[in-house]
Amino acid sequence: MRTFSVLFYYEWRHFRAARGLVLLTGLLLLVGGYGIYYGTTEIGRQRRHLAELPALARRHAAELQAKFPGPADAGEIGYYHHTFAVHRPTPWAGLALGQRDVHPYYLQLRLLGLQGQLYATENVNPTKALSGNFDLAFVLVYLLPLYVIALCFNLLSEEREQGILPLLLAQPVRAGQLVAAKLAFRGALVLGLALGLSAAGLAWARVPLDGRVALWLALVGLYGGFWLGVGLLVAAWQRSSSFNAVVLLGAWLLLLVLVPGLLNVYVAAARPVPQGLALTVQQREAIHGGWDRPKSETMARFYAAYPQWRDTAAIRERFAWRWYYAFQYLGDQSAAPLAGAYAGGLRQRHALGAGLGWLSPAVALQTSLHALAGTDLPAHLAFQHSATRYHDALRAFYYPFLFRQVPFTHADYARLPRHTFTSPTDTGGARAGLWQLLLGVGAVGAAGGLALRRPIRPR
Amino acid sequence: MSYILEAKDLRKEYPGKLALRGLNLQLAAGEVFCLLGQNGAGKSTTINLFLGFIAPTAGAAYIGGLEVAANALKTKQYLAYIPENVLLYPHLTGLENLALFSSLAGFRYRESELRAYLAQAGLPAEAVARRVGSYSKGMRQKVGIAIAVAKHAQVLLLDEPTSGLDPKAANEFSALLRQLSGQGTAVFMATHDIFRAKEVGTRVGIMRAGALVDVRPTAALNAQELEQLYLTHMHD
Repeated sequence: MRTFSVLFYYEWRHFRAARGLVLLTGLLLLVGGYGIYYGTTEIGRQRRHLAELPALARRHAAELQAKFPGPADAGEIGYYHHTFAVHRPTPWAGLALGQRDVHPYYLQLRLLGLQGQLYATENVNPTKALSGNFDLAFVLVYLLPLYVIALCFNLLSEEREQGILPLLLAQPVRAGQLVAAKLAFRGALVLGLALGLSAAGLAWARVPLDGRVALWLALVGLYGGFWLGVGLLVAAWQRSSSFNAVVLLGAWLLLLVLVPGLLNVYVAAARPVPQGLALTVQQREAIHGGWDRPKSETMARFYAAYPQWRDTAAIRERFAWRWYYAFQYLGDQSAAPLAGAYAGGLRQRHALGAGLGWLSPAVALQTSLHALAGTDLPAHLAFQHSATRYHDALRAFYYPFLFRQVPFTHADYARLPRHTFTSPTDTGGARAGLWQLLLGVGAVGAAGGLALRRPIRPR
Repeated sequence: MSYILEAKDLRKEYPGKLALRGLNLQLAAGEVFCLLGQNGAGKSTTINLFLGFIAPTAGAAYIGGLEVAANALKTKQYLAYIPENVLLYPHLTGLENLALFSSLAGFRYRESELRAYLAQAGLPAEAVARRVGSYSKGMRQKVGIAIAVAKHAQVLLLDEPTSGLDPKAANEFSALLRQLSGQGTAVFMATHDIFRAKEVGTRVGIMRAGALVDVRPTAALNAQELEQLYLTHMHD
């Protein structure tokens, strides 16, 4: 134990002397801090926008009240009145933005057909979306392994290349002790940094202290452990530092770029999803066709879904709002199978990709962190589902006005349904990632251990 | 009689090459054995076998009566090793390098004791707290000697220790070896330096193609005779 602590202490001395590594450590801390700042600032911006929505809704209602000073036709109000479906972020979202930058975090809804509104969002700059977010999850998933590589590429080869290893191994020191001390020091540094940054991020984002904190830390710790294991495995081959560096960078490229890219292609091919455009076109054609279809046919189909309004007054006018909203509803219904297939296909793609996370610990970690943060695709689909239910509630609110032909008064604005939705955190998905990472750590650890059974060459 | 260093039919084969052919050798405490031979004769292989860096193909190496292959860690407590070029951590001072290697050998010294060892090895006091990166080869060699002395090793394994040293440093090194052997340390030195072998050795061995072909007490030969003997064996 004493030999181990001596070796461990001198690893610290060697590290301190290696200015490049000290600089790199500082740089990682800096970019980690920036990642926390970037993510929490982005979520802060989204929160500010969401906080402004109630005032916007009130202002809009006031405008409508000015436009319709007395009791109004609910059809007019339903047509013009915007209301919001709100996707609130969890406190975790600032640490792993996931898809919150590409998917809308609120929807502006009217009583019209829903499907078009679900996808009518502001354009996202595709170049920015491609480059991704510089949040803490990015730093941990992509940059932490590079730091581990910088620490481990010369784990044993440095002493051999400097010619110090023969003198070291001529002391009563087991080669295993030497490797263990080196790895333990690097492990302490990597895990200290990764967990320290995580702890700082969790504190900064004010996440509630519950089991998810332990899950996040375990995921990050295992990921760091995986890359340390890769470093050990490569060091155990006892090749030159430059060879090790090339192999380790190759592993980084393979596991962080190539495998995720191939997984993406495979998942897209294995789980085809109908085009979103086809869904929108289908709905628009159905709605626009509603103008030309006989009203009786439209209403018969509508009453089949809403029999409670069957006995209301027949439509004899050239235009009636309840007929208008009926064919809006039928437009949604005609696109429903496609919409279901689209959402279901996306869910299947996500599940397949997440299930293959064992092929790349980077995929496993990223998927898990986004699941924990409630910023992944299932969280967005859950929001869409919630927005759909909200639109159903809007219909249920307006239909009595429309079909009983009750005027819409100013007091009714306050009775309009409100919506809010907070992303669920998928701890089950994160736990699955934990097992995948454990598998990865076990595999590289065992392979490294086996490779180290070969005696260490001093020269 | 018990020997502090012993080789019994020690043999080492590499694929396609026989590096050592059944070496038999014994060294008593205080003896200085100089092994002469050309490059590739098997001198370094012999030292590596005593260090436990490589495993013998047959036979056994013993340090302090213990078989090296079976007791690698224990036998390393008895021996110190000084390679041809002592390479140390360049960012640590001579003092810190000595503290590190002494700690690994199980000794914990105060700074004054470490300085005394370095002074005994001949390292100038002004260099002690300087980083080793600024040391000459001779100065590093002296730190290597201090490491060996501070370890209180019973056996000193030296691989071309005076190669590249200036005459003054080589002389100081020889004097230190004599002092250590006078204190009972057995020295096994692989060298090309016939003059140095005659000067510090109590026995000299000539190795050729992995075999120890001649062993003589140095007292029985003068430098010229030793050189002649060496050349004769090399040209056989």
